[in-house]
Amino acid sequence: MGDKQSGVHAKYDYIHDQESSPSPLDAHHVEVRRSGAKPVAACFFAALVSAYAFFAFYSKEKPNILAVWGIPLGALLMMKLCWRTVKKESVLIMPTFGVQLETHYRSGRIIRRFVPMGKILKPVLQECVTPVTCYWCLSLLLRDEEQLMLVFKEIRSPLKMLIPIWKALCAAADEGGGLEECGPDG
Amino acid sequence: MADWRRHRILMVSDFFYPNFGGVESHIYYLSQCLLELGHKVVVMTHAYANRSGVRYMTGGLKVYYIPWKPFLMQNTLPTFYGTLPIIRNILIREKISLVHGHQAFSTLCHEALMHARTMGYKVVFTDHSLYGFADIGSIHMNKVLQFTLADVSQAICVSHTSKENTVLRSSLPPAKVFVIPNAVDTAMFTPAPERLKSDEIVIVVISRLVYRKGADLLVEVIPEVCRLFPQVRFIVGGDGPKRVRLEEMREKHSLQDRVEMLGAVPHARVRSVLISGHIFLNSSLTEAFCIAILEAASCGLLTVSTRVGGVPEVLPDDMVVLAEPDPVDMVRAIKKAIALLPRIDPQEMHARMKKLYDWRDVARRTEIVYDRALKCSNQNLLDRLSRLQLISKKCLTWYNSIIKMKRF
Repeated sequence: MGDKQSGVHAKYDYIHDQESSPSPLDAHHVEVRRSGAKPVAACFFAALVSAYAFFAFYSKEKPNILAVWGIPLGALLMMKLCWRTVKKESVLIMPTFGVQLETHYRSGRIIRRFVPMGKILKPVLQECVTPVTCYWCLSLLLRDEEQLMLVFKEIRSPLKMLIPIWKALCAAADEGGGLEECGPDG
Repeated sequence: MADWRRHRILMVSDFFYPNFGGVESHIYYLSQCLLELGHKVVVMTHAYANRSGVRYMTGGLKVYYIPWKPFLMQNTLPTFYGTLPIIRNILIREKISLVHGHQAFSTLCHEALMHARTMGYKVVFTDHSLYGFADIGSIHMNKVLQFTLADVSQAICVSHTSKENTVLRSSLPPAKVFVIPNAVDTAMFTPAPERLKSDEIVIVVISRLVYRKGADLLVEVIPEVCRLFPQVRFIVGGDGPKRVRLEEMREKHSLQDRVEMLGAVPHARVRSVLISGHIFLNSSLTEAFCIAILEAASCGLLTVSTRVGGVPEVLPDDMVVLAEPDPVDMVRAIKKAIALLPRIDPQEMHARMKKLYDWRDVARRTEIVYDRALKCSNQNLLDRLSRLQLISKKCLTWYNSIIKMKRF
């Protein structure tokens, strides 16, 4: 059963899937809305690089260093553009078991990270400040770890989308933490 | 009461906690009192070491430590356009209604005021220091100040002397400049519970040991006072490049048992050092206000100070003995202060300071300045440019380019 919410942000869609049987899995997805600008820019850039390469190759003058290095650099940049474009990021909460964090790229690549429930001390919402901007991010405070773990590595979704995910993680962590405190004697 | 408006203020300066100083404590105490009055206050400063990001202080005071490294004397590198994205981001997300910049020497303050004015916000500027007119550094600083204050809504100075200095340097209309003195936390700076014995007189000096704070005067004054008054002892707290000179003076005149050098004193320990003395000595060569003598008076010490800048406006005549910044006159003033000591009641002095200086009063007066600033008419671009044209054609050309870039 999926509950699609497009939120107030023009860039992202928030989807909440909650299955009740056979095992309860709480899935939260934040999808990047496909914009027309990036593929058009990529095609235009590819055409520019190809035209320049063709001109440099068939020109009577000796090709300069810029022409020689510009082509592979341009190709590398295009590959990075396509390879690193994020399609969606997901948080799959398996109560009492753990949380799986997934990053799906448009190239088809998926990066998964699993965090056992007992390892999570607290999910926190915090403000990150960079030299040019400030944004909200959702992180996990882990036991015996100094560094926070970012839930969404690539996407900077708005606070309104992060709040329900944070609440779900808190509820799952409290439940998992309660069972953890019981110990071997129950 | 019916006209009360809740302001959302952004305080901007390169100088804030964890540094301690006049500007830093002014921003902190003023922010706390404004929060008490019901306003929202956010502080923006640069990152200090690993203190970066958003922090919350007492009373819910939100502080943005922007990860811009300071490059000279705790100042952020001036980039003009570089801080625009983060300043705009903070102004919008915190729903700021007014920007309050502190200290003429802060590049972050100047940039924030410029960008805020371009975005249509009202801005208030507080100047905490006196500057000269003759040397190259002051000439440059004054030009920058003229540019920034060309269209500031209101300005605040910490003394009448400072107001005169700021108006002359920045060509601001005097009607736009308010005088609101600093204050002191009298709850923190209280006298010793028991009065000190008078068989030995202790003179306390707490300041940065730099040229501007008159450390060279101390080198001349201390040996002479020790020679004239065998019962006098000195406690010198603070650190800086001139500390070596004081150590040499101590060695030269064999005053190791009469001059105690404490080194840098954490702000939390200042009161405990002050209450171990009878007289507080301030030898600054320039001061717009001097919070240090307020702290000393609040602890019940009689103050001896140089008559510079705004110092004569700070304390009543019976709490301070003033002298010219000259060793002979300072020794005379210390002699007069020693004679006045039996008449000084520390508890009574503290009680008077409580009535004279209060940060809540400073906050109420600053609130009036904010109300006045928000009532100022919106200047359009032509009015602002015409004011800038008075400063310099070059500034005008350059400012035009900033406006074009922001609109693009």
